[in-house]
Amino acid sequence: MLRIIGTVVRSAASSTRSIVTPFSSTTLVQRNISAPVQSDEPIDIPNPYEKERRECILCKHNIVPNYKNIKLLSQFQSPYTGRIYGRHITGLCKQKQEQVEKAIIRAQNCALMPTYHKDMDFFQDPRLFDPEKPVRPHKY
Amino acid sequence: MPSYELAMVLRQMSRPELVSVLKRTAESILDKGCIIRNLENLGTRALPHKISEHGVVHREGSYFTITFDSAPTKISDFMEEFGRDIDIVRRRIFKIEEPEEFQCTLHEEMLPPAYRKDVQEMIDIAKRKQKPKFKYNSGLDYYPFQK
Repeated sequence: MLRIIGTVVRSAASSTRSIVTPFSSTTLVQRNISAPVQSDEPIDIPNPYEKERRECILCKHNIVPNYKNIKLLSQFQSPYTGRIYGRHITGLCKQKQEQVEKAIIRAQNCALMPTYHKDMDFFQDPRLFDPEKPVRPHKY
Repeated sequence: MPSYELAMVLRQMSRPELVSVLKRTAESILDKGCIIRNLENLGTRALPHKISEHGVVHREGSYFTITFDSAPTKISDFMEEFGRDIDIVRRRIFKIEEPEEFQCTLHEEMLPPAYRKDVQEMIDIAKRKQKPKFKYNSGLDYYPFQK
């Protein structure tokens, strides 16, 4: 590419030399060589197509799940079977999912939360995610 | 002394009885030379499932938590002592730990598999596990004779 630009510049210089006096034409050629920055040269910038950094919903609001906070924990529980939804459904990061699972098991152990269904009081709670549309495809 | 949290479910009782049970448990903790930091009432409500304890089926209970500082060796004694108390339906003791600081890794987890660190590690392991193949050193990328 550079070589092509060089030839173009040289041809332009030669064309000017034919019209203008030889003295002025040499100065023109010299100036062209001494100017290394071209207008169409690639510039050094960060990747403009890089995606924005995503955060999981608990990290975003800086929430640490606690086993006494049953209303929050029951949102990660299936209303049909009481099982904890996986990471591919909840869309949490690895550490937060682990914390949530630990807290739910703790709450179930303390008889704060049911194990085979979701508490009826929390059925109308807003849904954080759609179990029908997992973030990632199911493992099986 | 590390901090612990005692989560317990008391059976359905009248208020004065409840007070006496709480006093009894708190005193037994204090008698062992421990410090009570906090006592929390989480309310009385129906249990998520019936619980059979000490030969009685319980369907309602009062939830309490006691935060205390104690020596780790005394925890098993507490569990044994409260296990004998017929007014306590369920008891659990958890150590209180400060949550570790960490960066959300969801962005890295959502990258295509080839860019994920754990996948790259798995590929490395698979490469290491491959059996070494015999090389003919013929300079050809195929076997020149009939096999």
